[in-house]
Amino acid sequence: MENPVRKSLLMWLFLSPLVVVILFPFAVMVSTAVKPRVEVLMYPPSWFPSEIRLQNFIDMWQATRLGPAVMNSLLVSIAATVLCLLVAIPAAYAAARMEFTGRKLFRQFLLVTQMLSPIVLVLGIFRLMAKMGFVDQLPALVLAYVAFNLAFSVWMLQAYFQTIPKELEEAATLDGASTLQRMRLIFLPLAAPAIGITAVFIFIYCWNEFVLAMTLLRSPEKSTLTLQTFSLVGGRYQVEWDHVMAATLVASVPVAAIFALLQRSLVSGLTVGAVK
Amino acid sequence: MGRASAPYLLILPSILFAFWIIGYPIYDMANMSVHAVNRFGKTAAFNDFANYQRLFSHQLFIGCLIRTLVWTVFVVGGTVLLSVPIALILNEKFFGRTLARIIIMLPWAVSLTMTGIVWRWSLNGQFGMVNATLSNFGLQDTPVEWLATSTTAFPILIAIGILVSIPFTVTVILGGLSSLQADVFEAAKIDGATAWQRFRYLTLPLIRPFLNIVLVLNFIYVFNSFPLIWVMTQGDPANSTDILVTWLYKLAFRYGELGIASALSIVMFAILLALTMVYAALAMRNERSTA
Repeated sequence: MENPVRKSLLMWLFLSPLVVVILFPFAVMVSTAVKPRVEVLMYPPSWFPSEIRLQNFIDMWQATRLGPAVMNSLLVSIAATVLCLLVAIPAAYAAARMEFTGRKLFRQFLLVTQMLSPIVLVLGIFRLMAKMGFVDQLPALVLAYVAFNLAFSVWMLQAYFQTIPKELEEAATLDGASTLQRMRLIFLPLAAPAIGITAVFIFIYCWNEFVLAMTLLRSPEKSTLTLQTFSLVGGRYQVEWDHVMAATLVASVPVAAIFALLQRSLVSGLTVGAVK
Repeated sequence: MGRASAPYLLILPSILFAFWIIGYPIYDMANMSVHAVNRFGKTAAFNDFANYQRLFSHQLFIGCLIRTLVWTVFVVGGTVLLSVPIALILNEKFFGRTLARIIIMLPWAVSLTMTGIVWRWSLNGQFGMVNATLSNFGLQDTPVEWLATSTTAFPILIAIGILVSIPFTVTVILGGLSSLQADVFEAAKIDGATAWQRFRYLTLPLIRPFLNIVLVLNFIYVFNSFPLIWVMTQGDPANSTDILVTWLYKLAFRYGELGIASALSIVMFAILLALTMVYAALAMRNERSTA
């Protein structure tokens, strides 16, 4: 048998170039975010600042109006996640549990919408929202995010729902449970982990989305977090990189932490959804 | 009656949503693409596909199309070539494997917009840490303006495109690897098959369905990939990093060329639809073979 210590070292050695490249931007974020401003624009640049200025985060929070942007992102992402699940769960239940004419067609239809990215449709979506008087309104983003996450959500959920044994519900029916009781007491509790994982994926999509936010929103006070951070670097002559890096750090760390914590279940969930 | 209509009632909201937010925009753009459109979006008479002719004869069209192909082929190819060995490593048992998995999945959680912003700053010619690090290690004499030089900007974007596509790809391939049966490999080992032979004749064919899905899905994602390029270069210098999606955005929202933009949208929609058919065929075949 192989020596496990030697094997581990070898594996990490193989992975090290990629690990360095992945961690590099995080190191840049942290290093720039805590530098005094004069050292941000100093040549040659250095990884280690003369002092660690956490005050930068407070300055940035005020100067960049990040607070309202975080609120907008939270509002939009939560609303879109809830609405998307409300629409997707019944559809996934039908696709997983019921026989009906057109079921195969429905699944193919889902596949097609899953392939479409907002960027290809962005002109048409802008015109639709303009027609409905929704431009520069956060609900416009919510609606669009729901539409673009539906296919994925239904697909993931039905793959899970199929793994929940039908017999449990049938037994409940024999015991005289109504449809609603069956749902509330048997099916939904068993499906809860799957619904949770799907919710995390939808939430992260909405939190990170850029193209639709940039197109549909106008006024700075409506900006979401990605859009607000982009506006700090887009089309400016003087970019305050210490603030920008502090902002990207604030925007990235919570999601990265959620991801790291839930990594195992997110990954196994996605594998079920992608291949089933 | 109630029984038979139940499934349709359950799927109805999702269908309505998709037709409203996705279907109608496609119809609207298809309609615009064959009519004369002014910059405020008012459509006039049917114009004999003049928008498509103007699109295909536009001086930037061929360049953007070729760059889109180069971008897609290199990013997808590079991603899959790198992801297979990474997935094989992460599938082994070793100290710190969970940590390694978390690190490799990390770029997935961070939005492409943020990734683009941080790399843009890191690649800054004067104050960026990429130049600083390279010259610290003596790999470079003079600082390079990575994103402002047309020969380096596009390859850099491709490299970062690969970096952000690796997590999803590794995840799906890992899923494929974990579904393999260990005893088949034991048997092959006992029969004297080398590690390479086991990979070539057992692992590779067995994870083929997963590779197919990853290829097609990545092709679609990368073909549509907008934020990285938009944030880092906006297609500059001199359109040398423009791909179809960034050009489409400029046509629609910067130059007000709504007719050409909708024609381009429809062309891209057609390409994606064709790819989706390929994916559907692969997914169905996969479903049948695992059933």
